Amino acid sequence: MSDAPLVFTPRPADPPPPSTIGVVGWMRANLFSSLPNAILTFLGGYIFYVVVTTIIDWALVKAVWEAENRRQCLDLVGRSGACWPGVVEWIPNLIYGLYPKDQVWRINIGFLILLAWAVPLWLPRVKSKVAIGLSLVLLYPLLASYFFHGGAQGVVWTALIALGGAAFLWVWLTTLAEMRFGLGFGALVARLAGAADDERARRIGWGALAALYVLALLVVSQLRFVEVPTRVWGGLFLTLVISGIGIAFSLPAGVLLALGRRSQMPLIRVFCVTFIELFRSVPLITILFMFNTMLPLFLPAGVEVNRLLRAIVAVCLFASAYMAEIVRGGLQAIPKGQYEAAAAMGLGFWQSTSLIILPQALRIMIPSIVGNFIGLFKDTTLVSIIGLFDLLSMSRAVGEDTRWLGLFIEPFFFITMIYFVFCFLMSQYSLNLERRLGEGQRR
Amino acid sequence: MSPPGKAAIQLIGVSKWYGGFQALKGLDLTVAEGERVVVCGPSGSGKSTMIRCINQLERHQKGDIRIHGRALCGEPKQDAPVLRETGMVFQSFNLFPHMTVLENCTFALTWVKQMPQAEAEGIAMAHLERVRIPEQARKYPLQLSGGQQQRVAIARALCMAPRIMLFDEPTSALDPEMIKEVLDVMVELAGTGMTMVVVTHEMGFARTVANRVVFMDQGEIVEQAAPEVFFSAPRYDRTRLFLSQIL
Repeated sequence: MSDAPLVFTPRPADPPPPSTIGVVGWMRANLFSSLPNAILTFLGGYIFYVVVTTIIDWALVKAVWEAENRRQCLDLVGRSGACWPGVVEWIPNLIYGLYPKDQVWRINIGFLILLAWAVPLWLPRVKSKVAIGLSLVLLYPLLASYFFHGGAQGVVWTALIALGGAAFLWVWLTTLAEMRFGLGFGALVARLAGAADDERARRIGWGALAALYVLALLVVSQLRFVEVPTRVWGGLFLTLVISGIGIAFSLPAGVLLALGRRSQMPLIRVFCVTFIELFRSVPLITILFMFNTMLPLFLPAGVEVNRLLRAIVAVCLFASAYMAEIVRGGLQAIPKGQYEAAAAMGLGFWQSTSLIILPQALRIMIPSIVGNFIGLFKDTTLVSIIGLFDLLSMSRAVGEDTRWLGLFIEPFFFITMIYFVFCFLMSQYSLNLERRLGEGQRR
Repeated sequence: MSPPGKAAIQLIGVSKWYGGFQALKGLDLTVAEGERVVVCGPSGSGKSTMIRCINQLERHQKGDIRIHGRALCGEPKQDAPVLRETGMVFQSFNLFPHMTVLENCTFALTWVKQMPQAEAEGIAMAHLERVRIPEQARKYPLQLSGGQQQRVAIARALCMAPRIMLFDEPTSALDPEMIKEVLDVMVELAGTGMTMVVVTHEMGFARTVANRVVFMDQGEIVEQAAPEVFFSAPRYDRTRLFLSQIL
């Protein structure tokens, strides 16, 4: 026996048994683990096969692609195949509603600007993402109203629209400057102008922004579009306008309401609780009716609030009440220690809430928030009841067209696909976001 | 027993109630600058409440708390500069999981002290080196072991350049193998002359590092003494019972 201790060498790990890995292992574990499961697998496979082939048969194989009217479709295949020409003919209306055909390009430009505004948020090396995101939510709507609605503008409105235009210019100039030189737009101009110190650089930066604003002001005051009243807005365009504003409004409003509900100040808390409980206890359709028919009764005679605006306000308030409860749930999931650590380091309420608590809470809330957005997007179909021509109302109109009388299933199928694509993309994006933000947060 | 030198922390008749339950019963305690005080006692004795009152995570309802002679008034705005002289380390680390280790350390410097990013990172790296984990700076807290996380928490508190460090059971949530690495950092910190108040059950740490051991029970200070006296000749039966149970 010597005094030297035994040396402990860990055993190398064995590979897992072959029957538990790979395709065969997966199938054995998940599809055929027992006789009942094997039977269910075959039964499920059969049902899936029947449903999918029936749909493909109806929508593609037996479908009619060219016809003058519904009669011709019925003569060709009866009801066993879809009659697509009616839908194809109505696609512009389904998308743009009754918007004048020669003005439709304005909608396209408006949405292209929206996309272009959002693109920098996904580009690497762009540092001003927070400012870009904020400007998108706060200032893009001004520019959108300029394109979508148009018409004569007062001085104030022109000034606001120019603000939106200048913000868009700034977003892209700063994006390009940051990607190319690693400097924001203002800082880059200051550098080029050879600013001596920080104070001068800041002044030159503001000067550059002012120049952008003047440029935008010149453009929007000269370039005016024909007014397209909101009563002819419709289709997918209208659906996107209502749900877009609802989504952009409900998240910040929901955060504020949720914080208010947890506030120590009784007045704020009571207001938030009342608002949330009131709007959550009433169906959206009732709120829409209330805003549509009863609001005018409370307003002084002669004050006319746009019907679309009434619907948007109703949707926004309803959605923020729901969002508030989701956010409150997220806030409650953050351990008290996080607040304490923030307080112990000298952070005030707004700093610790916005920098420590909300980033963590929002991340765990992503599935419910996006679920709420998806619900909101689909709930906008309810505005058809108060006489707005959203995507659903437009699709019903196809079957009321004299040439396509009774053609209802095909347009419904088509808009179902549109809704599905939008909602599926939202849901996939949320999963992707969750994964990216979850980096480093799992053990 | 009044320690020599200027007072860093003074508690004068501090009382605290949770509803009808009195957690602190008129505590008097003075901690001198550079002094290292270990607070021990059974659970529920009020030791954590006391340390949390010192940096106002809990508000006391009666009595005075003074930090370097300046009384806390309970108004967050007015107390903030006074409280900035204290740093706190928690039992459950409370690192911010959505920030890297480095960001955890620079965060308060840039947001509270408005320091430029580069300067803040320099300070943070210096403190991470001090707690011997500079190589983990780019990782996220949950990717580290408990001992490493607690050392990051210590570095994070030190970044704000406090003159007083408060430790609330810093090793209670750690695996035995990791306690030592945290205690080593604390012993080193003690060597720099930092004023320290440590709530802990690590009696070895108390013996070697503390100037004074305070024993609490039922919201009161039962007795306090220099460690050699405290461990060899406790005066109260309650202290003897406690020591017999944990040693």
